[in-house]
Amino acid sequence: MSRGGRHAYGALSVLAAGALVLTGCSKGGSDSGTDGKKDQENAKRQQASIKFGGAADSTGPAAPVPGAKTGGTMEVLQRDSYAHLDPGQIYVSDQMSVAQLLHRGLTGYKATTDDGSGHEVVGDLATDSGTTTDGGKTWKYTLKDGIKFQDGTPITSKDIRHSVERLFAPFINQGPTYLQQWLANASGAAYRKLLPDGPYKGKHLPSSVLETPDDKTIVFHFKSPHPDLPYALAMSGYAVVSEKGDTKQRYDKAPVVSGPYKIQSFKSGKSMVLVKNPSWDAKTDPIRHQYVDQFNITFNQQYETSTKALLADSGADQTGLSFNNQVDAGNLSQVLKDPKMKSRTVSGYQPYVGQMNINMSHPAMKDKTVREAIAYALPVTPFVRAYGGTDAMEVAGGLISPTVSGYDPSFDPWGKKKKPAGDPDKARELLKKAGKLNMKLTFGYINTPEGQQYSTAMAAGLKKAGFDVQRQEIPSETYYDQVSKLNNNYDIFHTAWGADWPSASTVLPPLYDGRVIADGAQNYSQVNDPKINSEIDRINKITDPVKSAAEWEKLDQYIVKDVVNVVPTGYYKQTQIAGSKVGGLVYDDVIGGVDPRRLFIK
Amino acid sequence: MLRFLVRRFIGAVVILFLLSIVTFLLFFGVPRDPALLMCGKTCNPDSIANIHHVLGLDKPITEQYWIFLHNLVLGSNQFAQGPCPAPCFGYSYHTNEQVWGTLMDRLPTTVSLTLGAAVCFLIVGLGTGLLAAWRRGTLIDKTATAGAMVISSLQIYFLGPLALAILVYQTHWFDKPAYNDFTQDPASWFTGLIIPWVILSTIFAAQYTRMARSSMIEQLQEEHVRTARAKGMSRGYVFFRYAWRGSLIPIVTIFGIDLGSLFGGAIITEYTFGLPGLGNLAVQSVFFSDLPLLLGVMLFSASMILLFNIIVDAAYAFIDPRVRLS
Repeated sequence: MSRGGRHAYGALSVLAAGALVLTGCSKGGSDSGTDGKKDQENAKRQQASIKFGGAADSTGPAAPVPGAKTGGTMEVLQRDSYAHLDPGQIYVSDQMSVAQLLHRGLTGYKATTDDGSGHEVVGDLATDSGTTTDGGKTWKYTLKDGIKFQDGTPITSKDIRHSVERLFAPFINQGPTYLQQWLANASGAAYRKLLPDGPYKGKHLPSSVLETPDDKTIVFHFKSPHPDLPYALAMSGYAVVSEKGDTKQRYDKAPVVSGPYKIQSFKSGKSMVLVKNPSWDAKTDPIRHQYVDQFNITFNQQYETSTKALLADSGADQTGLSFNNQVDAGNLSQVLKDPKMKSRTVSGYQPYVGQMNINMSHPAMKDKTVREAIAYALPVTPFVRAYGGTDAMEVAGGLISPTVSGYDPSFDPWGKKKKPAGDPDKARELLKKAGKLNMKLTFGYINTPEGQQYSTAMAAGLKKAGFDVQRQEIPSETYYDQVSKLNNNYDIFHTAWGADWPSASTVLPPLYDGRVIADGAQNYSQVNDPKINSEIDRINKITDPVKSAAEWEKLDQYIVKDVVNVVPTGYYKQTQIAGSKVGGLVYDDVIGGVDPRRLFIK
Repeated sequence: MLRFLVRRFIGAVVILFLLSIVTFLLFFGVPRDPALLMCGKTCNPDSIANIHHVLGLDKPITEQYWIFLHNLVLGSNQFAQGPCPAPCFGYSYHTNEQVWGTLMDRLPTTVSLTLGAAVCFLIVGLGTGLLAAWRRGTLIDKTATAGAMVISSLQIYFLGPLALAILVYQTHWFDKPAYNDFTQDPASWFTGLIIPWVILSTIFAAQYTRMARSSMIEQLQEEHVRTARAKGMSRGYVFFRYAWRGSLIPIVTIFGIDLGSLFGGAIITEYTFGLPGLGNLAVQSVFFSDLPLLLGVMLFSASMILLFNIIVDAAYAFIDPRVRLS
């Protein structure tokens, strides 16, 4: 899903600053002892393994939402205005949420349960989730009949080709780059050399890369297998752009949409009105609904403001909600304690997993017993508290989030779920065994309010186990730059990472592949383990998503338990609230927020 | 008068010029790269270089500054997003919108907020201050002074949410703060801004109460006032014709500065009530390391402060005949 380290940081720092201006340091939150029950609930909620659907699963219309009615206007309170509406530029979660209503792609996620936890990748514009006959090197898609843009023009394979080719144009620089890299068989930004100007100067991708033999067929050719293509194409960043209606940079403000809603007005930084798109045909769409007549979106609504307005539940706010604003940390525990208010909330996971990296390039850290001592000693409670308690952060066992296919809730090698405060005695024993009692440990921490808070308590916990902890502050603006420098002098430091789609293939390879160690890359712990590397190559070739999910989980366990280059800390969570007349309110684990596609007015 | 104005305007331009240089240097001095925010998850040096190139950040700072000045004065057709007539601050890194257009789009919110609040706090603040000075030493004076003391020590980010909780969410007496275009719907423009006006002006009014009172009392002790009273003029006449006029000078000075900075964006008020004005824009430009927007908001706000300072200085001549502008 959307934001990774850098983006996550950007968003989190904005959030932190916002909280500062308005509420000072009033981060409350509960960490009462209901963990056991919550864990059970969450274990139930975890993402079931996702499969790639065929033609039958991809046929519209979508199964009706129980009790749904049509009509009415919904008020949507959002913090940030949408900087991008051009699919090629969409990569952050709030834009991805609204894109669910506006844009369609070749594939998409169909909810298979009514609680937002079960999903299946199906064909959206395409008749199925894609077919490959050579293990993921060649993928073929066929477009459905009756699919149209908002202006009534049919969507053809030419539009799909155009949508792909324009991703190579220089002005597209904010969206995901998976597909481009796979097509060009290049890493980094080197894919741009394949089509430097995009399709705008008469050049096109060669048919050895992308084929559109007729108006309905699209064939992708990769040099190496990419069984994850159906997942990747479901990202909003790969949704269709109208070739006829492409206005390049200006498309970002006024895209020609294909989804159930179209933009009636968009006042950047102020408001947006979405109305039904009459060219959208429910029969072609297995994923979306069109119950609400109109969405009135208002921007600049801080979390505190939207929470209070929706809690008050008066006037237009009765049919109000936010696609992305959370219940602010100050009100969270109070809201969840009151059953009446709680009934209007939904909670779920954000895609991020927090982890304490152990810098494997430092000689002192090469001793596995020392790393195990860190793993046992590290208290996670301070981290959970800093973010507002167990309603906002759940203690993590492994590196794979509950929203990702293959998550194993019972995996907890360092006993963090039972003893989130750490096990200093056991750690001390190990440290003694290694003959490293009172060894120096440099802890680089981010100087956000949360970072200040948890790092102090974490350092105290490590000290108790016999480490001589030296805390070093890193400015939040340059945090990820500093810790991703190969010659940084921090022994341990905390980072967070979110999956781009519900498969660990967007988590484990970028973070732990020893062959991608470089300045600025995301292998923060600088781990280079031959078994991890070879397993990544092997699992990347498995075409069945259910099988590969199980293998990724095994690799996750190997990394956490046997390599110990990283200690998982927490799964980020959030709670959202809606007015009393909002129906179909579901937290979707893949979207990472309220599912806007099934909303209706009671 | 004309010579005075010309001189002051030239001075203002020089200050703006220096300010733009300082802003530019500060932006590049802070170790924060706007490209990182756009780079996405799998960021690498190549992608960053590409973004730098697209934004023009790969050029030397002096060249970038020269381009900035050139565009500001002459406009530019070089932007891929489209033409950018003078005064051209370029296009926002974050939203890709023309900065000048965005500023003009947000200005009505800020102007509405400022003017409405100014009317409130001038009437209430000066009224209370004059009353306190008129009834100096009485219970009225003591109440007004103490009240002003307490209120002026409060903050918008405390009063704002409190007012929202009581007046909007619990009692539903007022509409939820929002900005509606005056030309489209004057009634909801008014109702949407009542609470922000009241809250913003409450704090200012308290300060103006104290200022008006002390300035007035000072004036009342002046010799010409005593002389006028000795000549047998009524207390009311002396109060309003003699002392009041003299007490205006410091008030007008402060008012000019206040108005100028409010026109540049009432950051906390706009943020608290979610109003899309220049203050919110300033916050956004900092969060997103958005240099063009940052420069735009900065220079616009500074121009407002300078402009109102000039107006105030010119106004002295009308208020106090002793002042000669030359």
